[in-house]
Amino acid sequence: MTPEEKVKSILQDKLHFSAGSKLRRRMLARVLDAQRESQKTKPDSPRGAVRRTITNSRTAKLASIAALVAIAALAISLVPKLTSPAYAIEQTVEALQNVRFLHLVQRDDTGQIRDERWIEIGMDGFQIRYRQQKPHAVIAKYPGAPSMVIEDGQSTAVYRDDKKAVILYDREDQQYQWVGELGKAFENLRQEGKILEENTEYQGRLAHKVWWPYLSVECYVDPETKLPVTLGDAELSYEEPSPEIFEVVYPEGYAIVDARPGATEPLPDWLLEEKSADAKASDAIKQGTDALMDGDYATAAELLATVVETQPNRNWAWFWLGSAQYELGQYDLAVENYTRVLNMLERYPCYYCNYARALAYAQLDADEAAEEDLRICLPEMVRALRLPSAGFIFEYADDPMVRYGQVKPSEPEIIARMINRLRIVSGRNFGYDPNAEAEANEAAIAAWEEWLETDGRIDITLDAELLSIPVGNGQSQ
Amino acid sequence: MLEDEILKWKFKGGSSEALARIYEKYVDTLLTLAMGLLNDPYEAEDVVQDVFTRFARSGNGFTLRGSLKAYLTTAVVNGVRDRVRRDKRRPARSDQDVSLASASRGPDEELVFAEDAARLSSALMELPHEQRETLMLKLKSNMKFREIAKIQGVSINTVQGRYRYGLQKLRAQLNGEVEQ
Repeated sequence: MTPEEKVKSILQDKLHFSAGSKLRRRMLARVLDAQRESQKTKPDSPRGAVRRTITNSRTAKLASIAALVAIAALAISLVPKLTSPAYAIEQTVEALQNVRFLHLVQRDDTGQIRDERWIEIGMDGFQIRYRQQKPHAVIAKYPGAPSMVIEDGQSTAVYRDDKKAVILYDREDQQYQWVGELGKAFENLRQEGKILEENTEYQGRLAHKVWWPYLSVECYVDPETKLPVTLGDAELSYEEPSPEIFEVVYPEGYAIVDARPGATEPLPDWLLEEKSADAKASDAIKQGTDALMDGDYATAAELLATVVETQPNRNWAWFWLGSAQYELGQYDLAVENYTRVLNMLERYPCYYCNYARALAYAQLDADEAAEEDLRICLPEMVRALRLPSAGFIFEYADDPMVRYGQVKPSEPEIIARMINRLRIVSGRNFGYDPNAEAEANEAAIAAWEEWLETDGRIDITLDAELLSIPVGNGQSQ
Repeated sequence: MLEDEILKWKFKGGSSEALARIYEKYVDTLLTLAMGLLNDPYEAEDVVQDVFTRFARSGNGFTLRGSLKAYLTTAVVNGVRDRVRRDKRRPARSDQDVSLASASRGPDEELVFAEDAARLSSALMELPHEQRETLMLKLKSNMKFREIAKIQGVSINTVQGRYRYGLQKLRAQLNGEVEQ
């Protein structure tokens, strides 16, 4: 056998991959769901064939015209009473895929705009141009900078009012995004989105309420356009903005700092210092979270403390610093840092942080404060038993390796861990077998829902009996 | 092949059993192809899931005169190419914007494979994508050079060249094993 033939033989004989049984079942379930969903939304072709056959006869034609007139008259009289036609998430995905411009607005409690973005989306689902007014990532990082970001398709212009400068980056080096991969987000909506309520009332109009796992938000969908009009607390519209929205202009008196490859002017010292601090902070977060997962809590706390000292906008660094302090028994410091995270992200739900702070409060015997936090996060925790994607962020909080893609918790893992958290905070055990089929665990999930609805008594039991976590992909154990 | 014709006909009529059978019959072959091309189990699962999901949705509008296996294979090849293109284009992302975006979820379970397969898959990644694709289609999907040329939109000579160079490079990658 020649070496080439041997290579062929090795490839043919040894290169085999197959889906594990759970993966196989899950993939198949999604495929069959897609088929069912498509059958629900597609017109029934045989009906068309019958109509054609009938209308070939002259008598039948007259009869069918008379019948159509009667049906039309009846329909007109009934229109106000008829409910809207059935809605399928697929319709929203298709509508979104045709969207080319997105305008997103978030307001504060007084109705003032606190975040506004315009996005141009390409046919391939990737962002082409972008403008964000008051980008909170920039503002949080550089206090006192009511700044702006504009991407014109070639460059990213970051407006730094605090430095009276506009920094130009190559778009490939620096991009601000609403959602990184819109195409993936749409596909996630298609495959895992859930209709929570059809034709429900939303701000005086009818809308469909939908859960979008990728974004971890509920949205309201316009029954006519099938497009979301809100995502969480963000309002959405789809009109094309005026051309100057995406134009980079330089305010008078502002310096232009060209940080694109090939630029000849040296970067100012303040920008070099910021870049260096960013790189150091990222390294320290990585090392700190590695230490956290290795159980070296003192080192983790030390490294993460250096991060927040230089870059106090890093909410996850504060959170994991709190986690390291909790493990070190420094519960008061943990409470302080979890509180800081909740304050930083006050506009966004941080159920994982409420949960973590509740446990720290409980360790300090501050039962009322613990209960207050748990009242906030418990509905989301119970909801995750049916919508595991809602529990993903808890996994992310508990295991920073999820951040780096080294761990991808499976749905059974997410559910089992969530049940463990519920057992810890309630002291209740409604049974659950992570290895059983979904039907067998229906009673346990229903019992948790019932408990939340009717009892919901909190009894933090740190030594509660816990489930062993099912092995999902072999990377998270 | 006759079984495939019956499955196609039943699937077009809306049979979920036919769809399940098609899935069972081809899922591992397609996963192997996707892994050989991507060497990333999560991406490979995504591609194959996507192919089957789209296939499932094609339902009663589905018409296919040719081979079902070739159709699904081509869909995987195209899905992989889209991802490779996307990965090349994907810009660095600012990780500081914590607003609405959250981390995406990965597939739920795992692929089963022997250590040899993982090593081979890694070795294949050292080849240019076109050569890798040619080797996989020829040796794992048993396609003819003519069929591969059609998929790749190049001449048969080009495909044969890619195949030959691909084999030589892979041989160099697996040197110790091949020369034993």
